[in-house]
Amino acid sequence: MLLLQILADGFVTGCAVGVVAITFAYVYSTTGVFHVAHAGVYTFGAYVAWYLLQQGLPFLPAAAISILSCAAVGALIQKYVYETLARRHASPLVMLIAALGLLAVLQNIVAMAFSPNILQFDLPWRLEMAMVGTVFLSYPQIAVVVTSLLILAGLMWFSSSTLLGQRIRAVASNPSLAEVTRLRPNRVFVIVLAIASGLVAVPAILTGVDQAIQPYTSILVLLSAVIAVIAGGIGSLIGAFVLAIVISMVLNVSILYLPGRWSLAFTYTIFIAFILIKPTGLFRTRVQRAS
Amino acid sequence: MLAKLKPLLCAAGGLLLAMSVSAAADHDITIGAILPLTGPAAPIGLQEQQGVTFAVDRANADGGVQGHKIKVLFEDSQGKPDQGVLAFNRLVDLNDVPATLTAYSSISIAIAPLGTRREVLIINPAAQSDKLADASPFLFNTIPLVRDEAAVVARYALEKLGKKAAVIYENAAAGIDGAEDFKKVFVEAGGEIITEEPVEFGQTNFRSVLLKVAAAKPDFVYISVTQGQEAFAEQVGQIPNFPVAVGNTFSTPFFGYPSTVGWYHTAIKSGITPELEAEFNEKFDTKEMGFFSREYFNSTNILIQLIDHVLTAGKEVTGPNLRDALLEIKTFKSGIADITFETNTAQREVEIMQHGEKERIKIDYTPSK
Repeated sequence: MLLLQILADGFVTGCAVGVVAITFAYVYSTTGVFHVAHAGVYTFGAYVAWYLLQQGLPFLPAAAISILSCAAVGALIQKYVYETLARRHASPLVMLIAALGLLAVLQNIVAMAFSPNILQFDLPWRLEMAMVGTVFLSYPQIAVVVTSLLILAGLMWFSSSTLLGQRIRAVASNPSLAEVTRLRPNRVFVIVLAIASGLVAVPAILTGVDQAIQPYTSILVLLSAVIAVIAGGIGSLIGAFVLAIVISMVLNVSILYLPGRWSLAFTYTIFIAFILIKPTGLFRTRVQRAS
Repeated sequence: MLAKLKPLLCAAGGLLLAMSVSAAADHDITIGAILPLTGPAAPIGLQEQQGVTFAVDRANADGGVQGHKIKVLFEDSQGKPDQGVLAFNRLVDLNDVPATLTAYSSISIAIAPLGTRREVLIINPAAQSDKLADASPFLFNTIPLVRDEAAVVARYALEKLGKKAAVIYENAAAGIDGAEDFKKVFVEAGGEIITEEPVEFGQTNFRSVLLKVAAAKPDFVYISVTQGQEAFAEQVGQIPNFPVAVGNTFSTPFFGYPSTVGWYHTAIKSGITPELEAEFNEKFDTKEMGFFSREYFNSTNILIQLIDHVLTAGKEVTGPNLRDALLEIKTFKSGIADITFETNTAQREVEIMQHGEKERIKIDYTPSK
C-alpha cells in the first residue's frame, strides 16, 4: 500500500516533469539552444495564474491567460535574444550563458513583481482527495496526469500529422536547407518557443495548485527534465516523457529504502551509469539535427 | 562682469554643497544589515528588513541618537555565505560601519572571523546554529540557540508523548542543528529515533517523506524546518494517521491548519504591544508584525541603545566601544523581550505552546527531576 502510494506520487511528479522534458526537447531538437530559461518560464506561468486568481478571475481563464503569457514570453525570448545572438554567430556556449542569464532574470522578476514567498493558490478544490484504485490522489494531481498525457499525445500528433508540425521537423533536421527552401526557420523557431513555453505553463500551474509556488524550485524540475531528455534519447519526445516518469518514481521509491539525504545522489548515479552504458539514450532519436 | 564671476560662483557653490554633504555624512551614524533580500530565503529577509527599517525610522523620527541620524546600509547576502562575506567587506571597507546586523546561521558563521579581525560588532537576532555560541567575541546572539529550545522540547516529548520519535529536518544549518540537538538530548534521556528524513530548503513537495515517516509509526515527529510550513501542513492533512508533531520556534507557522491541531512547539518568549503592531502594520501594509520583524526591530533598538551609551560616555562609535557598552549594560528590556547577556548568547525564556483550533495555548510544564 505504502509502496503503491509512493509510486503513484512519483508517477504524478513524473508526468509534470515529463511535460517540461518534452517541451525542452522540442526546443533543443529544433533550435539547438540549450534553453535552461525554460525553468524561468515555468515559474512565470505559475505566478501569473496565481496573480490572476488573486484578482478574482476564475481558474480556467486565469490558466488560459497564463499559458498565452508564457507563449508570448517564449516567442520574445527567441525573437530578441536567441535570434539576435544567432545573427551574430554566437557559439552554443554563449547561447547557454544567455539562457542562464534569462533564467536568473525571469526568477528575479517573478520574485520582485509577485513575491519571493512560498505561495498557495486560493482554490477550494485543491485539497480534495479521490481514491484511484487503492491509492489516493488530490484533484490537482489527477489534473496533472490527465493534462500531461494529453499534451504528450497532442504534441506527438501535431509534430507528425500537421503541416506546421512537419515544417518544424523539416527545419529541425536541416535549418540551412530550410532557409534555402523558404521554410523561414527563424519564424519556425519563434513558433516552437511559443508552443513549448505555453505548454510548460500547464504543469507549472497545476503543480503549484497542488503544492505551492516558489520562484526558485523550478531549477530542480528542469534538472530532472534535462536528465530525462538525455537518458531518453535527445529528440525523442516519448523517450523524454517515459524517462521523466521513471526518474521521478525511482527517486520517490528510493526514499523508502534509503535515508532521504541519499535518494537524489542514488537516483542520479543510476542514470550516470545508464548513460555510460547507452550514451544515445533509451529511445532512438526521432529528429536529428544536421551537423 | 557676471560672466567672469560665473565660474567662481559655481566653484563656491560646489564647495558649499560638498561641505554640506560631508557635514551630513559626518553627522549620520551608519550601520549595516546583511540580509537575504533575494533568493529562496528572501521571504524571511524582507520581514527582517522591515523590522530594522521600523526601528531606525522611529529613532530618526524622534531626532536620532543625540542628534545623529541613524543610517542603515542593507546588503543582500542572497542567503549565501560567500555573498555574505562580500557584503561584510563592502560595509567595512567602503563605509567603515562599526556594527552590522546579520541573518542566517551559515552567513553569520562565515562573517564571524571577519568581525573579530576588523573589530566590528555583529548582532544576530534570529540565526540559531549552535556554532554561533562562540563564533567570535564580536558576535552576539539576541536569541537562544537551537540547543536551548531542543533540550526543552525533547524532555517534554519524552515525558508526555512517548519514547519513539521520527525526525524531519531541513537540510541547512539551523535545520540540521535543531535535529542533532534534539536527538542528543532525547536519546541521552532514554528515547529512540526510529527514522530521520531531510527536506530541502524551499521544497514544496513533502508527500513521500511524510508517507515514510507515518508508516514508521513513531509516537511523535520532531520537525525542524524554517520554510514551507504552509505546504507541509496541508500535505500532512492528506496523509492518513500522521502522528502528532513537535518543533521549535520555526514551527510557529504550522498554526491554523486542521492537520496541525494538537501539535507542540517551543517559542522564545516575545511580545508586542497592540499600538506598536498597529503602527508597524500601517507602515508596511501587513496583517501582523511577525517573529522576524519583531526580533530585528528589537535588536536594532539594542544597537541604537549601544550607540547612545557610547556617545553619552563621550567615546567614538566603534566596534570595540559598542561591544564594551553591550557587556556593560548586559540587560535590555523592551516590550518585545527582556534580554540578558551573561555570554555572547542571550538568555531568554523558552515556552512550550500547543496549537489549538483557534489559538495557541501555553503549556505549563516543569521538567521532572
